[in-house]
Amino acid sequence: MFDQTTQRQIELFLFEEARLLDSGDFQGWLKLYEPQGIYWMPSKPGQTDPLNVASIIYEDHGILSIRVQRLLEERALVLTPMPRTTHVVGNIEVEPAGQEEGEAAFKVGATFICVVHQGDKQTLYSGRHSYDLVRSGEAFRIKMKRVALMNSDATHAPMTIPL
Amino acid sequence: MTEPHALDIPTADDIRGLVRPDHVHRRAYADPAVFQLEQERIFGRLWIYVAHESQVKKPGDFVRTRLGGHEVLVTRGEDEKINVLINRCPHRGARLCMVDQGTSRLFSCPYHAWVFKPDGSLSSVPHRQSYPASFDLNDSNNHMQRIKQIQTYRGFIFATLNENPEPLLNHLGAMTEVIDNLVDRAPDGEVEMGESYFSVEYRGNWKLHMENAADIFHPSFVHASSVMPARKAPANASILDQDQTREMLLANGFGFKEWEGIQLNGLPGGHAYMTNIYSNGVLVQKEADPVATQYRASLVAKVGEERTAQILGMNRFNNIVYPNLIINAQYQQMRVATPIAVDRTLVRIYCFRLKGAPDEMFHRSVRFLTTLGSPASMIFSDDIEMLERCQQGLSKDEGPWVDFSRGLDSDRRDTNGMLSGAASEMPMRVQFQAWLNYLTAEAA
Repeated sequence: MFDQTTQRQIELFLFEEARLLDSGDFQGWLKLYEPQGIYWMPSKPGQTDPLNVASIIYEDHGILSIRVQRLLEERALVLTPMPRTTHVVGNIEVEPAGQEEGEAAFKVGATFICVVHQGDKQTLYSGRHSYDLVRSGEAFRIKMKRVALMNSDATHAPMTIPL
Repeated sequence: MTEPHALDIPTADDIRGLVRPDHVHRRAYADPAVFQLEQERIFGRLWIYVAHESQVKKPGDFVRTRLGGHEVLVTRGEDEKINVLINRCPHRGARLCMVDQGTSRLFSCPYHAWVFKPDGSLSSVPHRQSYPASFDLNDSNNHMQRIKQIQTYRGFIFATLNENPEPLLNHLGAMTEVIDNLVDRAPDGEVEMGESYFSVEYRGNWKLHMENAADIFHPSFVHASSVMPARKAPANASILDQDQTREMLLANGFGFKEWEGIQLNGLPGGHAYMTNIYSNGVLVQKEADPVATQYRASLVAKVGEERTAQILGMNRFNNIVYPNLIINAQYQQMRVATPIAVDRTLVRIYCFRLKGAPDEMFHRSVRFLTTLGSPASMIFSDDIEMLERCQQGLSKDEGPWVDFSRGLDSDRRDTNGMLSGAASEMPMRVQFQAWLNYLTAEAA
């Protein structure tokens, strides 16, 4: 049953995710995903179709694990020097979404701001996160995370760390 | 933007002094005066790709893009003709259109409400009686400025600021073959640009990107950080894209074995392409690939077995149409690199739908676009990092010469142009020879 405790638990889960990314624990971050979990960053505001419309990122666990492995490769040119990030997550709203294979499911909305520092460059990203979460014992797992950048359809410089 | 008179334009002798058979001076990449001359004599005189006809299907459709130093609108007029117009109101000079594409029967300037038709002609002005008697709606000085020279090749629209250009077909030369091949791959004989594309900007000179696209020597070094994890990852761990992304990352693991058989081709005018590349993985048709099999059958049904084998057998990668267009027909991909400043370049990356092909073929093209062209691409982002580091190095005075000597002793010449093996820097030498010719040609 949805209650304030669940709301708080989910907030803490989102904070944990942000902390894992900011501390460079990308393998720990990947563990928050279901084995079939998807990370989706659309290229257009309101994009609903990931097949006919190209996304900035549309990856399931199998591809995400390559992306995470790359972040740990010393030879990734785009990661020298390693970017440092500050993820700020707020305005977290939770909606119960029934049961998935006997586990409680939730739809979560949040706003985010992420500042990426790399060498002399500083880049600011902001937008809205939407999650499909399922409860997994005491913790939660991500079935889908959709990262809607405010400027998804703008001209971008290369992106490195997941938002 | 720098005003034209602000810099001393290099003379032909200055330019000749920047290019040796195997070296190029750093000023070619870092000197704003050289950049200004390029804008005038390359981007102002050559045929430049501006749009695809499928983006402007019906009257009023428009796309916003760049031509030379100008921002232009490519529009379809009420008479169905294509127009290329400077995006500027002739009244007070305000930019007219503030979006990249759309449909509009009229372009209205929000300042004093001059209203233009999609062909750029002036439709109306409010409070007509206050304009002098000599004011004429039909006076072309009161119209959006038109680019007069527009030519289309199989749906690809090119324009030039040059009032007396050579025919587009002369400029394209043998590069028409790759446009033909892209269009011929569509069972219905027509391609349509996908609705999504990426715009990525890097802090480097435009030529760095064009050289990188002709360079098959760099991937095993620059892309090692995505090749290695892809090699360690299990096959088919991803269910999203039939392993396409992993195989594409793997494909950059070029070694001596993969270089064998790749041929680089350099053509007069600065064009270049690679042949016989990517002979493994999802990038080529596998026996048991239902999507490719279904697609092939749809093409055979339209053009027959023999012609299908011919069309799909063409294996040319990174077809570079000088100065700034790159086409990959077999994956329906296209890139346009637009110079913004001597050290800033906008790259737009597009993909096409093959009309009459199964939807899954287009899904693959979209996937290819994301994997290779997204700002978060695990491939392109490392390329850009290298281009930016080159610019950072070239903007300094030390060590003024850039080395392009690799392969110089083994390049061959045939009737069409230059040929070399994978490791040669021949395509860059061909690009710089063309650059030299264009920049030192006094008259248009």
